[in-house]
Amino acid sequence: MFITASGLTLSFSLMRVVNLTHGAFYMAGGFIGLSVLKFSGSWLLAVLAGGVATSALAFIEERFLLRRARGNDLIETLISLSVAIIVGDLVLVIWGGYPRTISIPEALNGAVSIPLLDTIYPVYRIFTVGLALVIIGALWVFLKKTRLGVTIRAGVDNFEMVSALGINVRRLFSFVFTLSGFLAGVSGVVGGTFLMLVVGEDWRILTLTLIVIIIGGMGSLGGTIVGSLITGLIHSFSTAFIPQFSLFVLFLPVAVILSIRPRGLFGKER
Amino acid sequence: MTKERGYRFRRALLGALACGIIIAIPWISSKYFMMMSIRVMYFGMLTMSVTYLAGELGAVSLMQAAFFGISGYSVALLQSRYGFPFPIPPLAGLVIAVLAAGLFGLLVAKVRGIYFLMLTLVLGQLVWALANQWSAVTKGDTGITNIYAPTFFGISTETSKTAFYFFQLVFFCGAASFLAALKRSPFGLMLRGVRDSESRMAMLGFRVNLLRYAAFVFASLVAALGGVFFTYFTGLINPHSVALPANVEALLAAILGGINSLLGAVVGTVILKTLDVVLSGITDRYMLIMGVLFMLVIMFARQGIVGTLMKYWNNRLFLSRNRDPERRPSGFSKKPEVFRNP
Repeated sequence: MFITASGLTLSFSLMRVVNLTHGAFYMAGGFIGLSVLKFSGSWLLAVLAGGVATSALAFIEERFLLRRARGNDLIETLISLSVAIIVGDLVLVIWGGYPRTISIPEALNGAVSIPLLDTIYPVYRIFTVGLALVIIGALWVFLKKTRLGVTIRAGVDNFEMVSALGINVRRLFSFVFTLSGFLAGVSGVVGGTFLMLVVGEDWRILTLTLIVIIIGGMGSLGGTIVGSLITGLIHSFSTAFIPQFSLFVLFLPVAVILSIRPRGLFGKER
Repeated sequence: MTKERGYRFRRALLGALACGIIIAIPWISSKYFMMMSIRVMYFGMLTMSVTYLAGELGAVSLMQAAFFGISGYSVALLQSRYGFPFPIPPLAGLVIAVLAAGLFGLLVAKVRGIYFLMLTLVLGQLVWALANQWSAVTKGDTGITNIYAPTFFGISTETSKTAFYFFQLVFFCGAASFLAALKRSPFGLMLRGVRDSESRMAMLGFRVNLLRYAAFVFASLVAALGGVFFTYFTGLINPHSVALPANVEALLAAILGGINSLLGAVVGTVILKTLDVVLSGITDRYMLIMGVLFMLVIMFARQGIVGTLMKYWNNRLFLSRNRDPERRPSGFSKKPEVFRNP
């Protein structure tokens, strides 16, 4: 959840592209990981392969389609929607419509008891949360502290000025988009390991991610974290108590937050 | 002056010819073609709803199928479960859909451009989730079946498809002229003002959000009307009618036909539904082909078919009328461009 949302915020905030392909990349990454796991038996390799494959897809999408519509965000969004439909259907063709799961790697299988709370918790979930934290930390450091990150942010704010300084902003954008595709693929494999992989999952993930973004506000990493916490909590509780409405309940936070703050909790006015 | 009269005459002739053909369809064409026309009409109402929002408000909505489904589900529930007699289920269905549009509209009227698209996508998906998960009421993925079309003056529109055709034709023309009248009305002008320069309209004292809200509700009403006929004709409703592909399909039809005219909505629906029938005989990969088509249209033909034809029409067919710049109708001289570059 964290990872998908952070990948989406990345492409969102940095390129001002609403990338509706993200859910499809998540699913494609998951299925690619599944096949690689069957073939090679290594879970780590599967995660990497999922990430690399979707980043390649993302690169192609950016380079050949989105670049032609740069600056017109409505067209960009609609293009990404069409790519999402195509990728979604291709996944259906290749892997079929049956739900699959990726088995949890042995090193991470099992459960630990947490002494303080007196409960038993699967190791894999802890690993997932840890991974999400690492990725968010890394993204934050990358964007705020490194030279490349600073250049990217500058390129978003003033494309022409940064170009005039002799930096190839287009190439930079391709890189960022590819990175967000990589994150989607990785989260597909990681998420597919304890959730189920099934066709149609792409839209569900995309909806959840968009809710996170709407709640948290666009272009803010902190907002994404808070948004995914709110969404995740409400979703889990409602799944446990009122399963018929588990998704529809998410309408409430969206409605409340949009009526108070139309730009989301941490969104900036443009 | 004679040229002007010639233009009018030709236009009237074309209009009369079109009306004649439409009325004569049940007798001159095969039954199959008539069924196809019925299908085009109810999906056409959905497409018109999308077209109206995109063309007049400049807002691309991905949730009109939700209202299509809400009225459809209401009709299905009220009729097949609670057994209400004829005029109640469709009327209540429309009222419920309008109330839902009123609720969602409170949110979507606040957001602009890309946020509008995102929010409508999310809300549409939530309605789909409700239809899918609340199986106690909606029967989940299987949906509700056994819905019968009403009977008028002893003629059952369920058994006689010709009667159904005319029953729907009346409402279809009603919906089309309703939207067309809205476009011409002062309300339509204000709305176009909002589309072209929102800040100016706000400064002139118009209540911009209220206008956007009203447009959203009106468009949803037309989509809901389409949903009623869909449910009557097919006799069933299930979550697929409110799912994202349904929304994308409506949007594709709208853009394919050209978002600047309601005629475009109908043309786009005709093309898409024909394609649907032709392709379903050959392959299951309808979604794939739809995705590719969508991409091509977005990238290369944003004006749509009617937009392109209109240009030809103005330049060639009625050259005499439009060559004189002073007499050129203002609506044709400068086409509003929703997908313009900033």
